[in-house]
Amino acid sequence: MNKLGDSWLLSLIGLTGLAVIVSLYLVFVYVPTELIMGIVQRIFYFHVPSAWVGFLAFLVAFVAGIAYLMRREPRWDMVEVSSIEIGVLFSTIALVTGSIWARPIWNTWWTWDPRLTTTLVMWLYYVASLMLRRVVDSEDRRARFGAILSIVGFVNVPVVFLAIRLWRTIHPVMFSSEGFEMAPGMLLTLGSSLVTFTLLYLCLLVIRVRIEYLSSELSRLRQLSIPARS
Amino acid sequence: MKNFWYLFAAYTFIWTAVFAYIYTIAQRQQTLEQDIKALQQAMERRIGKGD
Repeated sequence: MNKLGDSWLLSLIGLTGLAVIVSLYLVFVYVPTELIMGIVQRIFYFHVPSAWVGFLAFLVAFVAGIAYLMRREPRWDMVEVSSIEIGVLFSTIALVTGSIWARPIWNTWWTWDPRLTTTLVMWLYYVASLMLRRVVDSEDRRARFGAILSIVGFVNVPVVFLAIRLWRTIHPVMFSSEGFEMAPGMLLTLGSSLVTFTLLYLCLLVIRVRIEYLSSELSRLRQLSIPARS
Repeated sequence: MKNFWYLFAAYTFIWTAVFAYIYTIAQRQQTLEQDIKALQQAMERRIGKGD
């Protein structure tokens, strides 16, 4: 990567670090403790952004998958696979933190609630899609296969989002047609965490795409070196 | 401070997962850069020898 790209990435990392510090301050110092759930409700401020980044990452993979099928440019495949990997990471965080939060509030680590079940199905699908990609040897076929998997898999994402509105559920509805149902301080803290996690996603995506680029560069050099060896 | 340990466990998991992932991708990047450099040097040596 060139120097301009490096300085841009360093600025993004610096901005993300600053946003993390601000968000941690808001979560642990600024925001008041919720009256009914108490201190454990503070999990909410990083649980929701984790789920949001999961959705965003799968949306980006979906768009990159379509772009790859239309243009057949390897860079779209790099974005797609990188975004799915990061999406799986943040969906894992959302599932685990949700489970930890559920234990003292719902008195169970897990329940087959529509939101939880659809999220688990989504998570399993994307984990499986990352594993299935590796089975295909040909680069072009792997990229096409990955693109189709990312497009098909995205069908589940709106279902996960709408699950708490479509079916009876114990999962709280955060915002309705009347807007966000929370105090201004809580809304500010949530907004800050959403921005922080989005920046974190962008940093990880840029670095992860860079790795895909290096990997393809290594394959290209290995192919070039074969005639030299023989 | 009721349920403090649940909060602690959640935030510990979040940051452990994020930093573990960052460490993994940093290692991958370092390995790839070393492999590319080694291959480029090997190719340059072969070209220098006229192979």
